[in-house]
Amino acid sequence: MTAPIIQVRDVVLRYGDFTALDRVSLDVFEGEVIVVCGPSGSGKSTLLRCLNGLETFQEGEVIVDGENVATCRNLPALRRRIGMVFQHFELYPHMTVLQNLTLAPIKAQGLPRAEAERLAMDYLTRVGIADQAGKYPGLLSGGQQQRAAIARALTLQPRLMLFDEPTSALDPEMIFEVLQVMKNLAVLGMTMVVVTHEMGFAQEVADRVVFMDRGAVIETAPSAEFFASPKTPRARAFLKRILRIG
Amino acid sequence: MDWQVVLNNSSLLARGLTTSLELTLFAIAASLPVGCLLAIGRLSKQRWLSLFCASFVNVMRSNPLVLVLFWLIFLVPLIIGHRVPNLAAVSVAFVVFFSVYFSEIVRSGIQSVGRMQISAGLSTGLTRGQTMRHIVLPQAVRAMLPALTTQCIVVFQGSTVAYVVGYDELLHSSSMIAERTGRPVELYIATAAIYFLVSLAGSLLARRFETKRSRA
Ligand SMILES: Nc1ncnc2c1ncn2[C@@H]1O[C@H](COP(=O)(O)OP(=O)(O)OP(=O)(O)O)[C@@H](O)[C@H]1O
Ligand SMILES: [Mg+2]
Repeated sequence: MTAPIIQVRDVVLRYGDFTALDRVSLDVFEGEVIVVCGPSGSGKSTLLRCLNGLETFQEGEVIVDGENVATCRNLPALRRRIGMVFQHFELYPHMTVLQNLTLAPIKAQGLPRAEAERLAMDYLTRVGIADQAGKYPGLLSGGQQQRAAIARALTLQPRLMLFDEPTSALDPEMIFEVLQVMKNLAVLGMTMVVVTHEMGFAQEVADRVVFMDRGAVIETAPSAEFFASPKTPRARAFLKRILRIG
Repeated sequence: MDWQVVLNNSSLLARGLTTSLELTLFAIAASLPVGCLLAIGRLSKQRWLSLFCASFVNVMRSNPLVLVLFWLIFLVPLIIGHRVPNLAAVSVAFVVFFSVYFSEIVRSGIQSVGRMQISAGLSTGLTRGQTMRHIVLPQAVRAMLPALTTQCIVVFQGSTVAYVVGYDELLHSSSMIAERTGRPVELYIATAAIYFLVSLAGSLLARRFETKRSRA
């Protein structure tokens, strides 16, 4: 078996006295789709941000695509291989959709503009919004904005993708179109770590589910197993709550 | 009323206006960069630096401009032992006073850009500098433009303070003409009209920035 593309070993992250990540460990293999869930404040976003070096932790190590994130000399180069999608899209409002997609390929990757635009249009087509390329993000629907944000990450042709609650800010009728794009990605073999409370997506697409609570990973299990019979009482309680309201 | 007196002295008034505009431009050109530095200092993670900048801003904001000028003219000579040249006093007063206001505008502009925008930029492999330059600053400047323009009008009006040290700006020129001709009413009405027109031009510009922004 090949080495995991993501290795998280006993990571501890504190904000002052508060422990946001409490000896978190996780291996993700190439092509796997991992869903991370857990109550608010349990450290899901913080964990994702450790994976691409947006957050610095005090103990443990994170190795992504063969590089130690904490000691990496060239974080920008590593981050280009790790796509990230945010809850509130975080498109740049002062640029058109196309410019949003080509900024990093041109400035960080050094692609010629024409090449970057060709690539960007290709990904906009894949997420179904090629016709929106010239518009400013503010004019798009929430679902379109999130698909543009996914395309922005994909334009860098990353080795893996991180999603932080990509559908939580969307109206119900737009959640579907974004999940559809994510499913297609999974089918194409993209390695994905997805923080989400969309349990339907988790059941259908995820290989494994990671349940976090109070900064710690409480349970990691194959998706089917997790939903059929969560081992820990906390995960059971969480599932009960979320399936009732969700 | 005899408006002829205004026309007869129009070249003097024009020279006064030019001086006022020069003072304004100088004050903006000198205090905007200082304001940026103050804003960056206040947003700094270095506590002593942000505390220092915050105190400076708060102390300066509580003083009227004329008082700052008086300090330089009456107080500072007692300390340094010789008088401060008028031009220097006016320049320093403008920079010290207006940079504080500019710093507040710049600070709120930078803060108006969401922190996650920075995360987004970094996550695509842009460096911190590139993220600042291509993502944060353009949005901050757009957010600041209306307030900055309004503040420039305030600077223009504030430039009349140079009058105190006998600087030949617009108000000083017109008051001299008024005294010489014995026609204060006409001259001050004309002067008010000039200030009004320049300020109007400024606020129209600010309005344009405002609508541009809301469209984007
Ligand atoms: N910069 C920070 N300083 C102090 N505390 C922080 C900081 N960032 C996050 N925290 C705290 O760390 C904890 C974990 O936050 P995190 O955002 O990772 O939770 P989460 O699981 O993503 O929650 P949610 O479902 O609400 O997004 C929270 O209690 C949060 O208040
Ligand atoms: Mg979160």
